[in-house]
Amino acid sequence: MEALDLARLQFAVTGGIHFLFVVLTLGLAPLVAIIHTRWARSGRALDLRMTRFWGQIYVINYALGIVTGLVMEFQFGLSWSGLSHYAGDVFGAPLAMETLVAFFLESTFLGLWIFGWGRLPKWLHVACIWLVTATAYASAFFIMLANSFLQNPAGAVVKGDRMELVDFGAMLTNKALIFSFPHVIGAGLFTGGMVLVGASAYRLRRRSEETEFFTGSMRVGVVMASIGISLTVAFGYGQFGGVQEGKFNGAAGVPLGLMMEGGNLFSFVVLFFMLPLIRSLPRRRWAHPLLMALTPLPFVLAILGWLAREVGRQPWMIWERLTVADALSPGLTTGMITTSLIGFTVVLGLLAVTDYVLIARAVRRGPRDLALGAADDQCAPALSL
Amino acid sequence: MELIWFAVFALLLAGYFALEGFDLGVGLLMPVLGRTQEGRDRMVAAMAPFVLAGEVWLVALAGTLFGVYPALEGEILFGLYPLVVAMLLGWVVRDAGLWFRRRLDGAAWRRFWDLMIALGSLTLSFGWGLALYAVAAGPGVSPLHPVGLLLGALVTGLFAWHGWTFLGRRPPGAAGVPRPGRDLLVSGALAALPAVVVLAGGAPYLLEHSAPSSTLSVLSVMVLPFAPVMVAAQVWVWRTFHPGKGTDRIPSFF
Repeated sequence: MEALDLARLQFAVTGGIHFLFVVLTLGLAPLVAIIHTRWARSGRALDLRMTRFWGQIYVINYALGIVTGLVMEFQFGLSWSGLSHYAGDVFGAPLAMETLVAFFLESTFLGLWIFGWGRLPKWLHVACIWLVTATAYASAFFIMLANSFLQNPAGAVVKGDRMELVDFGAMLTNKALIFSFPHVIGAGLFTGGMVLVGASAYRLRRRSEETEFFTGSMRVGVVMASIGISLTVAFGYGQFGGVQEGKFNGAAGVPLGLMMEGGNLFSFVVLFFMLPLIRSLPRRRWAHPLLMALTPLPFVLAILGWLAREVGRQPWMIWERLTVADALSPGLTTGMITTSLIGFTVVLGLLAVTDYVLIARAVRRGPRDLALGAADDQCAPALSL
Repeated sequence: MELIWFAVFALLLAGYFALEGFDLGVGLLMPVLGRTQEGRDRMVAAMAPFVLAGEVWLVALAGTLFGVYPALEGEILFGLYPLVVAMLLGWVVRDAGLWFRRRLDGAAWRRFWDLMIALGSLTLSFGWGLALYAVAAGPGVSPLHPVGLLLGALVTGLFAWHGWTFLGRRPPGAAGVPRPGRDLLVSGALAALPAVVVLAGGAPYLLEHSAPSSTLSVLSVMVLPFAPVMVAAQVWVWRTFHPGKGTDRIPSFF
């Protein structure tokens, strides 16, 4: 393969792994915030344990979102310096806002939330997780803003051999953005809801002693998944009004078709089976293997969606302005990109597998001896300082 | 406006060296001072609440590089390709070590990730010295020049010392000898010094390559209103996790 193909593969692999974890973060952050708020109001022990258990799943998942995100950010300069040379004056602005405002605050508040158990006043602690959620959504917005500019370069003109930002308002109201952003948010809520449903089904099927805990969790998950899939499908179809002609005629048609078929089918299962049975579903043990089997599918659909959007853009980096071949860093050799591709793929791949094993173990272990929010009196010996 | 954004860029780089420098320093010192598992647990617990708020300074710096100096972003990162890849992998492995080390019980698991934290911190610290030299020397110069190696050793040493003074602020017996907070300010300032010197030398070049004013205006309108919130959030972290508050009794998540 040539350097161009390898550089594209590297971006697809790191971006794919990144989004697998980000899509769950986008769903779990508001869920944890809601449950945490419920505990702050009710003071019930069950709500506290739910906050700590799902919070711990959220935080384990978050780790991979961060480390893959670091690689994504620097890859623009490593592999695609032609992009920043040609359109950095436009494309750089949303990326700067994402890192400088949104992620900066998200990471700071997340540190306060994780380490603030037992140290922050109750409502300030709740405020932290809501701020984490808000800034995570702001991050997603700026990334979608940057991506939508590549899909449809609104608000910028070509001046000489570079693009210049002339109308930030047009960039914000980009037709490639206004439906795709809620579509992605819906997919996140749907994924987070289905992870609650699948993990609860696993625990309930095993007749674990935590029936009340996982019954409640499954119901919350079903509600969230229903809201999520409705948003995703509605704003998914809404996007077709703004798509350039011929975008999905080529290779991008395959993932697009699969995603749409899968999404439609899934929405029927969620809205006409899971939601009507929400009261009794936790007791219907025959349904639990099905719910567990469905859990990985939102992740697959999310990746298919990204494949359709990004492959559909080819061969353009910026639609009808800059090709990916011209965006490649001049002088990037096959040797350089091969070495970094192997390094990033092996390290991030191993870490991703490790992270999923850790999440699976946390689910199997259930809500006991949780490290998140442990006070010195209730901590398991293995975890104490 | 170019000056304001240069100040933001400079503050982020210097802030990263001062605030993440001690986290990397603690990581460097783990094999040296943390001979026992309990000792290493204490060291990680001491820095843990500050890591997330510290490393974002570099994430923000890279974003600012893209937004404010797009013409230089590709040039600098691509020019240092192997070094940037190595530093990224070091950073990834260090972070993974922090997030993963307590997620399973078992001595070997934790020992492995503690080693990864130390190796990742070393790659990043030494890499920063090399990167500063290469950026200052200009394009086409290999960072593996004797001066670059010397600077790598210097930055590593400064970070380790900064980490040591940070650990010294913990209660007696936690790690090291108790030291006053003033020492931490001094070691932080010295840790940031190499970055400040390079920034001072490169200021005219950076200013010359700023993004056009239309881009900077949008950035200013969108970002600068949040600056007080960002400062407040960082201050909040330092007030909440101040070692004098007896909070060290609570077990650490990392």
